[in-house]
Amino acid sequence: MEKTLQILNDLERAEVVSRYAIGEAMGATFYVEPVLTFDLDVFVVLPQTRGGLLTLEPLYEALRARGYREEDECVHIEGVPVQFLPAYNALLEEALAEARETRYDATPTRVLRPEHLLAIALQTGRDKDRERVRLLREQARLDQNYLKGVLARHKLDDKWTQWKP
Amino acid sequence: MDPMETMNTEIVELLAAKEARRRKLAGLSFPDKVRAVVRLQRMVAPLLRARGRQVRVWTIEESAAPGE
Repeated sequence: MEKTLQILNDLERAEVVSRYAIGEAMGATFYVEPVLTFDLDVFVVLPQTRGGLLTLEPLYEALRARGYREEDECVHIEGVPVQFLPAYNALLEEALAEARETRYDATPTRVLRPEHLLAIALQTGRDKDRERVRLLREQARLDQNYLKGVLARHKLDDKWTQWKP
Repeated sequence: MDPMETMNTEIVELLAAKEARRRKLAGLSFPDKVRAVVRLQRMVAPLLRARGRQVRVWTIEESAAPGE
């Protein structure tokens, strides 16, 4: 896992991605009890292309050049299947911009804030997101004022109210 | 003591212990949590494969498991 993160840092240094942060299940695991997942979901800000097209192809190409191959929707990097998800809306852009800097052993990395993980789960709205919201609400240390701001900015207050027990 | 009352006390204690365990797991370091996730993957993968779902357990270096 540490080697995987070192490769992600390398991609950022090489400006293949402008910024990355761990999200989804493994992001939530940073704040709550370990949650079963088989993918490491990584949100990325991609550099602007000439046509303004949002494509992961240059990222996949850079990984292929480093000897990592894609399989289905993931790229296997140092024993971990990584799924790259481009920041495709305002909530994800904000989440990436404000992601928390941390360390995995000696390697620096970034994880989305718990308030953003919760908001993304609300926005996505699948059954597993409902479970993630419950776990984050029960176990993560949420900054309630910050959460309130995120939910208001991205018009998720009503869903938050609906999903509360 | 009423057997029902004893049962309720036992269940309350069991649930409290379970909750304490979950809080302890939530407080582990990130690397320890990742190692715990890999252990979960190892436990669940054979069941998922038997149901036809292709999953791959992460091959990361693993040291001591949390709580061991």
